[in-house]
Amino acid sequence: MNLPRLELRRASKVYQTNGQKLEALHEVSLALEAGSVTALVGRSGCGKTTLLNLAGAMDFPTSGEVFIGGRATASLNENELTALRRQRIGFVFQFFQLLPALTTLENVELPLLLAATKRAREAARERLEWVGLSEKADSYPYQLSGGQMQRVAIARALVHSPEIVIADEPTGNLDDASGDQVLGLLRDAADRFGATVLVATHSAEAAAMASMRVQMRDGRICAVERA
Amino acid sequence: MLPLPLFRTLILRPLRRDLLRTALTILAVALGVGVVIAIDLAGDAATGSFRSSLETLVGKTDLDIVANGAIEERWMRPLTALPVNARFAPVIETQGVIEGAGSVTVYGVDFITQAVNSHARSVATQDLDTSAIVSSALAKRMNVREGDSFSLALSDQPCKFRVASLVDSNETEFVLLDIATAQQVLNQYGKLDRIDVFVSPGEDFTRVEREIRSILPASYRIEMPGTRSDENQRMLRAFRWNLRVLSYISLVVGAFLIYNTISVSVVRRRPEIGVLRALGASRSCVFWLFMGEALLLGAAGSVAGIALGRVMAASAVSLIADTVNALYVSSRPAAITIGIPEVVTALVTGTVVAFISSLLPARESMEVTPVEAMGRGAHEHHARMHARRDLVWAILIGAIAWPVSKAGPVAGNPIAGYGATLLAIVAMALAAPAMIVGMSALTRNVAQLFFGPEGLLAVRGLAASLARSSIIVAALATAIAMMASVAIMVGSFRETVIVWLDTQLRADLYVRPAGRAGAGEHPALPAEAPALAASIPGVEAVDTFCAMEIEYQGQRASLGAGDAAIVRRYGRLRFLPGEDRDAVLRSLPGQDRVIVSEPFANKHGVQVGSVLELPLGDRTVRVVVAGIYYDYSTERGWVIFDRSTLLKYLPNQAPTNLAVYLRKSADGSQVRHALEQRLAKYRVVVAPNRSLRRNAVTVFDRTFAITYALEGVAIVVAMLGAANSLLALVLDRRREFGMLRYLGAAPSQIRRMILLEAGFLGVAANMLGLALGFALSLVLIYVINKQSFGWTIQFHPPLALLSGASTLVLAATVIAGIFPARAAARLNPIEVIHEE
Repeated sequence: MNLPRLELRRASKVYQTNGQKLEALHEVSLALEAGSVTALVGRSGCGKTTLLNLAGAMDFPTSGEVFIGGRATASLNENELTALRRQRIGFVFQFFQLLPALTTLENVELPLLLAATKRAREAARERLEWVGLSEKADSYPYQLSGGQMQRVAIARALVHSPEIVIADEPTGNLDDASGDQVLGLLRDAADRFGATVLVATHSAEAAAMASMRVQMRDGRICAVERA
Repeated sequence: MLPLPLFRTLILRPLRRDLLRTALTILAVALGVGVVIAIDLAGDAATGSFRSSLETLVGKTDLDIVANGAIEERWMRPLTALPVNARFAPVIETQGVIEGAGSVTVYGVDFITQAVNSHARSVATQDLDTSAIVSSALAKRMNVREGDSFSLALSDQPCKFRVASLVDSNETEFVLLDIATAQQVLNQYGKLDRIDVFVSPGEDFTRVEREIRSILPASYRIEMPGTRSDENQRMLRAFRWNLRVLSYISLVVGAFLIYNTISVSVVRRRPEIGVLRALGASRSCVFWLFMGEALLLGAAGSVAGIALGRVMAASAVSLIADTVNALYVSSRPAAITIGIPEVVTALVTGTVVAFISSLLPARESMEVTPVEAMGRGAHEHHARMHARRDLVWAILIGAIAWPVSKAGPVAGNPIAGYGATLLAIVAMALAAPAMIVGMSALTRNVAQLFFGPEGLLAVRGLAASLARSSIIVAALATAIAMMASVAIMVGSFRETVIVWLDTQLRADLYVRPAGRAGAGEHPALPAEAPALAASIPGVEAVDTFCAMEIEYQGQRASLGAGDAAIVRRYGRLRFLPGEDRDAVLRSLPGQDRVIVSEPFANKHGVQVGSVLELPLGDRTVRVVVAGIYYDYSTERGWVIFDRSTLLKYLPNQAPTNLAVYLRKSADGSQVRHALEQRLAKYRVVVAPNRSLRRNAVTVFDRTFAITYALEGVAIVVAMLGAANSLLALVLDRRREFGMLRYLGAAPSQIRRMILLEAGFLGVAANMLGLALGFALSLVLIYVINKQSFGWTIQFHPPLALLSGASTLVLAATVIAGIFPARAAARLNPIEVIHEE
């Protein structure tokens, strides 16, 4: 039997603020396969980002479990979690989060450098070519448009060929044309590299290109639609 | 107008939130202000006790009669016969040594005819030669009471005295003897150190002065009380002025810190400023919000600085007193008193520095437009764009500093030298951004090769946070530059002195009276000492030297007389270039010719061939300057006669020092032992050449200890600044660190990255600081020092010390990065990445 790449089993997340409990996720279960694109949709505050954090092994569920490649994230220590993120997960953020001091190529190369991977530069060039920004390799982030910056961020997220790509509102800060380009790249990541892509979005276009749409409300999954 | 509610929410609240950074800034200002206050307080205490402690006993004198080389007592008779309503009191003032209590001031006053007060009158006539009046402070320290006996060594021999009476004298310590006893013990028959004049109420002051002047020789001086004290203070002016300037370094470094704190504040609150402006806040309102923050930090730092200054002054006072005693004049440290002027100075200093250093960032806050909410990237991009322009300014200002340093002194002060120093620091600060950008570009590959991705991120991070990192580098570089320049100056001076000691001290043994040997004190040896020394087998020659303090052109100087023939034969006295040592020394005996030291020549504008008019005893002598020699023993300067010439004008001058030259075949320790035995009944010290040199170097090192202490504080302030700024840098870039964690960076990698950044900052600051330090050391040695003290110092940079100190600074910078690095590694990536 093939295990899902990413699986949440009755995962709940409760935050304590000023002595009050706030349940951000309530017994969410979800299994994602290789090469799939899943869109998380729902209003602000419905628990999308919390779910992404659990899925990206950046946070742990208060109850329930999250499995990545068949291993429960809660069972991993700090070093194992770091290794997991380095090897298996790529992140794309709404505000790009490129380092202003590094060139485009260096930004893309960064995850491989942090993991001390050989031939980092070649891999970074390949990914930059994939997003169509080879000519901007030596430019700095402030010299790029918003759409270009997000494409660089996608190249960075895919540079180490992760099994899972997690994108939080990747088009939230872009115009329509740039947004379409970014969504195309995420779809391509799943199709070409077999990545499992999980996108939190408000955008109907983003939701439309997904192979599965997960509707959330008040920390729960209220509907799942498959394309 | 500063709106208080806004100030509370926009300024006070963040200050409270970032309590550690606020505390670091206040502490740095407090240290800067504290050092300034400490040096002032300690300087006052160390030099403030020149006023004769006799005044506490006999009341204020109206006039003092003094002369170079003592006053003849025979002038007392015509003075007392003058038709004026005034009292004349002869005084002997010297230093004595009390077993267990050390050196004390001893006065000889007339117990019988001059009824100084009831204490003196209480001494029975038959007990005059064994009685002493002791100040209560001294008696307490000696643990003696009325009727007890104690041993006091004056000049060369210990004498027993009985405490006839104790006098309350606040904190001052002294012993009072009858003048005849003092003259007898000191072998100063018929000689007085001064005559105090007390003018009766109602008497015409100027008439008294005129009458006195009419009978006394022209070489005698009639001084107003306090003249000597003023003179001492004047003499110490350059020393204290230089010390004060040195104490301002910490304040300058602190100014960088305030600049940084306020600019961090402005950059962080750009969005809020934009909103405020959109809601109708005026530019000046925004400006005063940030100025208010700076003034608050300045005032808080100043208040803390007063307390800190008082504590530091207690440690500094003995160091300064040592220097004053070694180089200038004998004084006893007085109590440290902190008054309204010091408090006001501290408050004004701290707030003015805060005001000036925050002007630029506060002005920047005014420029934020309502629609602007500029992020760090764009702000830093602007900083990078300005780096090249700033470099051009740096070159221009540096080029101006060079000719400025060449200008002469203003009213004896090396103002231009200080100006050039300040300009050089400004030039360095402006060059810092370009230096960091250049270093970042050049070391990129190397840093990555040696330190991995953390190395690359660290060097690039410095260039990315240029506005911030260049301030840290400038502050650290200023402290390093001052440390390096002073270390080079002191090291060069030390090396010069060692070489000079080698040329100056050529005799095998030196004999001087025991007891304190401070500057301006020349206790006499027994008159028979030279003959006794010369009679010891193995002794080839004895140079009899006698020294005294004189006044020349209103300034204190030292006058000495030795045997020019012996100096010519054995010594290696170095004269200024172009002078024939042998010919100069040969021309001195029996002639009205002298040699003068370089500081004396510089101070009085004297050249070879100049004629000096020296008041000696009751006549004024005209002597020709035959040569100028290098000397580093005292800043006041020497005038040296051949002994035969001096005795012509001041007969019976007792020797003060002997330089004993041994035969080649003689055993040095045997001769020394014999000499000590022969002079055993006198209180003298026989020092071999080597120990004298060692002592001189020890005195030198002690003298400059205070400068190292001051530099240490400046470095500490810079370290606080580095820690503070690195912390600000971490807070500013927290999202970057969060993102790196998302990309797979381990917390240890983040920590390493910050430590590497701190290290690179330290390297950049060291490079800039050492380069500037070398330049400033040239200004210190060839401009400031020369104009202040008149010494020629050979350039000898202490490379080992400098490399040690810069390694220490580098290590300290990395240590300053430990806390910020830990803070960065502990950031919660989820929290920081979703802040928007």
